[in-house]
Amino acid sequence: MEQKIIDRRSFIKKMAALAAMTAAASMFPGIIFGYEQEAGIPKGGNIDWKKGPCRFCGVGCGILVGVENGKAVAVKGDPNSEVNKGLLCVKGYHQTICIQAKDRLTHALVKKNGSYVKTPIKEALDIVAKKMKQTIEKHGKDSVAMYTSGQSTIPEGYVASKFMKGAIGTNNLDCNARLCMASAVTGFLTSFGADEPMGCYEDIDYADYFVTWGNNMAEMHPVLFSRMLEQKNNRGAKIIDFATRTTRSSMASNKSILFEPQTDLAVANAICYEIINNGWVNKSFVEKHCRFSKGKIKMGYGLEDNYNFKDEPQSIDFESFKKFLKDYTPEKVSKYSKVSVKDIKYLANIYGNPNNKVVSFWCMGMNQHTRGTWMNNLVYNIHLLTGKISIPGNGPFSLTGQPSACGTAREVGTFTHKLPKGVVTEEKDRKLAAKIWKVPYERIPSKPTYHATEMFRAVDRGEIKFIWIQATNPLVSLPKTSRYRPALKKDSCFVVVSDVFPTPTSDVADVILPASWHIEKGGLYGNSERRTQYWKKMVEGPGDSMPDAWMFIEVAKRMGYGKLFPYTRENHVEEIYNEYRQFHVGPKHEMAPLDVLEKQSGVIWPYVNGKSTQWRFNAKYDPACKNGEDFHFYGNDDGKAVIWQRPFEPAPEMPDKDYPFWLNTGRVIEHWHTGSMTRRIPVLHKAMPHSYVELHPEDAKKYGIANGQKVKVSSRRGSCTLPASINERGLPTRGQVFVPFFDENMLINDVTLDAFCPISKEPDYKKCAVKIEKA
Amino acid sequence: MPIKSYILHFEEGKKEIVLKELHNLQNCEVIPAQNQNVLVVVTATDTEELDNNIYNQILEIEGLKHLSLVSGFDTN
Amino acid sequence: MKRIFLIGIFALLTLTVVLIWSKSYYAEQEEAYVELPAETEIHLIPSEMGVFERASFANDYEAIGNDFKGGRSLDTYYENRAFHGAPPSIPHPITDELSMGDKSCLKCHENGGFVAKFNSYTPVVPHPEKVNCRQCHVAQNTTSLFKETSAGGFPKPSIGNAEFIGSPPIIPHQIQLHENCLACHAGPSAPKEIRVTHPERTNCRQCHVVNNKGMTDIGVFIRKK
Repeated sequence: MEQKIIDRRSFIKKMAALAAMTAAASMFPGIIFGYEQEAGIPKGGNIDWKKGPCRFCGVGCGILVGVENGKAVAVKGDPNSEVNKGLLCVKGYHQTICIQAKDRLTHALVKKNGSYVKTPIKEALDIVAKKMKQTIEKHGKDSVAMYTSGQSTIPEGYVASKFMKGAIGTNNLDCNARLCMASAVTGFLTSFGADEPMGCYEDIDYADYFVTWGNNMAEMHPVLFSRMLEQKNNRGAKIIDFATRTTRSSMASNKSILFEPQTDLAVANAICYEIINNGWVNKSFVEKHCRFSKGKIKMGYGLEDNYNFKDEPQSIDFESFKKFLKDYTPEKVSKYSKVSVKDIKYLANIYGNPNNKVVSFWCMGMNQHTRGTWMNNLVYNIHLLTGKISIPGNGPFSLTGQPSACGTAREVGTFTHKLPKGVVTEEKDRKLAAKIWKVPYERIPSKPTYHATEMFRAVDRGEIKFIWIQATNPLVSLPKTSRYRPALKKDSCFVVVSDVFPTPTSDVADVILPASWHIEKGGLYGNSERRTQYWKKMVEGPGDSMPDAWMFIEVAKRMGYGKLFPYTRENHVEEIYNEYRQFHVGPKHEMAPLDVLEKQSGVIWPYVNGKSTQWRFNAKYDPACKNGEDFHFYGNDDGKAVIWQRPFEPAPEMPDKDYPFWLNTGRVIEHWHTGSMTRRIPVLHKAMPHSYVELHPEDAKKYGIANGQKVKVSSRRGSCTLPASINERGLPTRGQVFVPFFDENMLINDVTLDAFCPISKEPDYKKCAVKIEKA
Repeated sequence: MPIKSYILHFEEGKKEIVLKELHNLQNCEVIPAQNQNVLVVVTATDTEELDNNIYNQILEIEGLKHLSLVSGFDTN
Repeated sequence: MKRIFLIGIFALLTLTVVLIWSKSYYAEQEEAYVELPAETEIHLIPSEMGVFERASFANDYEAIGNDFKGGRSLDTYYENRAFHGAPPSIPHPITDELSMGDKSCLKCHENGGFVAKFNSYTPVVPHPEKVNCRQCHVAQNTTSLFKETSAGGFPKPSIGNAEFIGSPPIIPHQIQLHENCLACHAGPSAPKEIRVTHPERTNCRQCHVVNNKGMTDIGVFIRKK
């Protein structure tokens, strides 16, 4: 009631002001009340604007945070940032509001007799160090594990890697980027021998066509989508949306083409067939810069524990590649992909026409795929066959979902097989790491251990007795959480969670450590276009909260590794980054020095002779090209990119009589990943208060389901009840349902399948079979 | 609970002083015009007495030329 | 001579037979393919339908600029509607009382423009696909009332509801039937208080979100375990 009175009063006040303004306007025609549009905005006093990257997605927008009296009071886009040029999305603008949430973790919590006891952080770190040490003594190095994040900063990832691999000597380190970018990494490595995109966002300014492969950019990478729309309106560039579901992106595109889940493999091959069949191959480019290979087929789907796979590449020639493609004529593919022959030819024509500049964008649609590596390879094939690569406005572009999946997870290497440079299986890479870390080289094990999914399976099996989870929320984000939640609750494993907010993951922790949020610490992030961004601490964190990197260092010191971590609390970010830079010396990956990063709104590596390298492998732009030709794919020893023969194979679980629907999961614009931050921002929560299940109107009609009615979605693994959403945000095809995964109260990952790509080990969240019923 | 809006005319060059004085008053909102020597003032008080007080306080501001009431509401 | 002629004809016939046969043979080898008519898919999502509808005019709106004089104000905007979202009444004489389901209204209201007679800019309809205009929009033929009423003075969506200095204001009103933001927030007929400074951005809901999903205030996120 009180709320109402206030509303009424403020309304009358506005009316009164309006009346006076109208009266003034009649006395002085042309009078301007400059604040008409901004009425109600708090008066800005002495705001200090501090530069940094956005906390959320992998686009890596530059932000300016307004700080007044030690408090973040505003956020705006950094006009100097080449990424976003002053624009942000709704999440970006409101990001700093989350730290004021009332349930913020401010003190360490230690579980004693089943309930959490507030504990001074020093004691909590003592407990963690003691427990970790005891576990190693009792069960060996490989009984402890760490699971970090693509949201960890570069120094955090670096310290985690040095701590686990260099100090303790175990490869039990993996991160949530395994769930989102692993297939992109293996795609790059198999095709080019070097990770991360060759082009940059500036490609958008030159391209004639944007083909988005299973990627709802209007909601997931909105700032880049805005840049595309600008080109569409100003230059007539065209956007082609190739997806399994109609979305906001489809509607803003020039053309929307829908395909049956998993058949993107076949359509990509059909495009290659058409390109070759019509003589659109860029012969001189392919002859000079490409070779052909094939790998193992029928690899399986990793559904069983301890599943192992190793690809065996075999060289082939162009003729056998051509012969292989005969199974992928548009006519044949059209039958099972549900894409018309006309549309396949249309797509092929876009790529094939030598006068078109084409950029392909993709993200989770292609990566979270049981044949994710193959799918990445296939899109590279299209660009390589036509020579549309590493040229301004021409290129394949793999987008990232986390702010530092590139910078931290992929470059620093917080994966089980990775080192800050290279992989653990290579002796020279281990030697380099040992030298810089100043540890005996024998200490770094040469064999990778658990990838993300297998790590939690190992917890379930009781092999891992101690796990430290940092800056991520696996009990919402893992596939098949119905298995991994009980696993983490088991007494056999001691669980440490460092986070900013309580989450379903911290609920099962034995020790909860309060982490500093983004602007409460300094750090570095690396975005999708190889841009490294640096920020300094802007505000003080509450209570005992501590930067994640410093927690690792404190624990390492307590375990007797202090000598390896000689950093200071105030300057550890800078000290660690300077140490890390030594790994990437040389024109192929040189990182910019801190003083440059401090001045500029991000710098693209390789940073050579004071310049960002915007297009790698192109001799015009990339000083690392050494073969005297126009292009040099120096990631591979022979300087050539690989065109892979990768067939179509069906998904592990397909709709059948008992479970007749495809289940697709994903995100919405308002919430970011598991929503632990965005749901604590009132503007965003009110815009999207809970998850839902999207149905095709005809399916809804068949089941008699009305909008908003509760629907139970169940698979062979678990079920989840959500309100139906018909004709709202998106429109799945008939026989498909879509559910956003941000909602911890409606855990759709209890339903999903933990099948993964055998090469990348990245799970497929986009395809499994479910049934629906009215709940 | 009276709510009133006024147009306030002030002397040339006294805008900053008038604005500062008005900002110091409680229960009072100001919307300045950009290109004329005029302000819109909205007062919202809990009682008639407070309303009178604030009216008198505004009248005492240095640099004020003229104050005219435009509209008034009583929310009770 | 005659024999050569006959042999010639025969050779020609044989050649034709071989040609026709081979052609039909190869035709047979080709895989029979009939393009199936594509399934009728609804490629539009009603609640999202209009979002990008007027985006093609965005650059023109941008060209008009921010310091454009004239046009409506919010006051006049609310003059002929009962509350926000109520269909505005028709404030001008109507050409043809019998025009129903055609484009009579759209002639002016689809894209707007200046009308000298009324000295104002025509408002742009946010839902031009609904052509039975006068189902909802009625003329006002009298100013008197049948009986006195206390109705009126309904609350109007507030302007200036940004969380932060410079952050994008939330959308304070429901958007059913006016999903297309640019229709009311850009161009000369847009009320000046709510005219957007950056119409060229077109993907409005990238930054501006609706905050009234429920009928009641849903409060802040509180964990339910």
